[in-house]
Amino acid sequence: MRHRLRDPVTGLLFVLPVLVLFLIFRIFPSLGAAGMSLTNWNIGGEWDIIGVDNYARLLDDVNFWLSLRVTLVYSVVYVPLTMLVALGTALLLNQVVFMRGLFRGMLFLPYVTSFVLAGIVWRWIYEYNGLINGLLAKVDLGPVAFLEESGVVLPALAVVSVWKGFGYSMLILLAGLKAIPSSYLEAATVDGANAWQRFRRITLPLLKPTIFFVLVIETISAFQTFDTVYVMTGGGPARATYTLIYGIYDHGFRSFDFGYAATWGMVLFAVVLVVSLIQRRFLDRGNT
Amino acid sequence: MTITTASRPPSVRAEPSRAARRPWWRGRWPLAALLALLSVLTVSPFVAMFIVALSPAGRPTVPARWPESLTLDNITMVLSSSGFVTWTFNSLIYAFVSVVIILLTSSMAGYAFAKKRFPGREAMFWTFLATMMVPFQATLIPTFVLVNSLDGVDTFWGLIVPTLANSQAVFLMRQFILGLPDELFDAAKVDGASEWRVYWTIVLPLTKPILATLGVFVFLWHWNDFLWPLVVGQSDATRTLTVGLTTLRTEEMQLSLLMASAAVSVVPCLLVFFLLQRYLVNSIAMTGLK
Repeated sequence: MRHRLRDPVTGLLFVLPVLVLFLIFRIFPSLGAAGMSLTNWNIGGEWDIIGVDNYARLLDDVNFWLSLRVTLVYSVVYVPLTMLVALGTALLLNQVVFMRGLFRGMLFLPYVTSFVLAGIVWRWIYEYNGLINGLLAKVDLGPVAFLEESGVVLPALAVVSVWKGFGYSMLILLAGLKAIPSSYLEAATVDGANAWQRFRRITLPLLKPTIFFVLVIETISAFQTFDTVYVMTGGGPARATYTLIYGIYDHGFRSFDFGYAATWGMVLFAVVLVVSLIQRRFLDRGNT
Repeated sequence: MTITTASRPPSVRAEPSRAARRPWWRGRWPLAALLALLSVLTVSPFVAMFIVALSPAGRPTVPARWPESLTLDNITMVLSSSGFVTWTFNSLIYAFVSVVIILLTSSMAGYAFAKKRFPGREAMFWTFLATMMVPFQATLIPTFVLVNSLDGVDTFWGLIVPTLANSQAVFLMRQFILGLPDELFDAAKVDGASEWRVYWTIVLPLTKPILATLGVFVFLWHWNDFLWPLVVGQSDATRTLTVGLTTLRTEEMQLSLLMASAAVSVVPCLLVFFLLQRYLVNSIAMTGLK
């Protein structure tokens, strides 16, 4: 057929715009990140190759280990909390028929807004004379310094991100729940299984792949936290919220130490890669 | 599972359906009440934001007391501030230009990846997918240095163009077009239609539902985007709304004005939400777009 001969050229032409965009703005910077981490690139654009000096500096950098710990602690609070809220609301939405559409919409609403908006509103909610402390004062409690106390600030930030983001995971889990044939659960009911046994023995095992998918997505997003930190705490108090991405921003756009900031970026890349590879391994095992 | 549907005695089988016919307040009302409570808690920050935004400036408001009267003064004040209007305009440009270009380029590439044979097709496609594994923040510095060396900092092209390489969009379009039968495209080509005509009159109309979904997501991604606009938009001329909002500080401005700014900034998201909620919900469940 004649038109098949035109395919190589037209196919390439149709891909061309995306190809050019990807080569310049995704692939080149990805390689560039690795390259820059081996230089002392600065604001003036001057650079020398300094080998692995940046990585050696990273290992000696107290702030780097601190930020890794902050990011890890944040994830350990955020991921289970968001999984719990998302799974809980998904299970409720799957059970309750009464005004289900309205409740689903209300729970999903924060997802369509920005982390910046969430940060601005919750900064006021957490303030000394803000919403929560105002309510606490009415029952003679508080005030709690949510954003000024290093032990409280990370969970406080995690709550904001959970509030803003759980609607997405809730919808994915709800779709997973709907895919479980109701005949399985009915049969178990007939066998005398109570609600907890049905959940533990049927729902949970069948929902496992969905839960795993959501777990990976949420872990990666926990490692990428930046917006709420920038808006609400600026990395403080005393670097208690100095996350990995905040470190990249701080070294890149406050100290203009581009080479070293790129090295921090490589660590983020490594972390996300490891999480993705673990996911792939588990999925492969699930298929065989 | 040892029990099958067929082996169940008829008398017992009636049980679940009778339970389903019970009115809601007898069966699951505690669960419904819990769900209602969680839903109200979830929207309460928005409600509080709107109440403060509509309260007279400088007077005590929630949570100390309910405002005695509501006013639109804060909203009109925000809308008459030139900074805020510029940021809104910039956000609209950032979002709408990105939507148009991403829909166009990703549907073209998706069509080629799904239905055309050309050398390097598979390698190219999988390379695109592999870039999904590289988080944008990890390449923030080199991307900024690149845009800076092309004099793109604080310009609209510098803001928009680097965000147009979107692998999620290409992947989604390719998967969707892969599911369309070849005959649809071949018939038109036998009739002598040019490739561009096939794309314009067949591919685009057939992919309308997925383009609409993708368009909504791209709009939200860009309207809510922060880190890239923050580093590249260094003056009000290119600053987007999210970046502009972070320059407002409670120390320097009334809380009611700050909340009014936040409230106005969220209106497009709320519009998308109220008009397209069903659409958004279904596409997240089906495609996992985030």
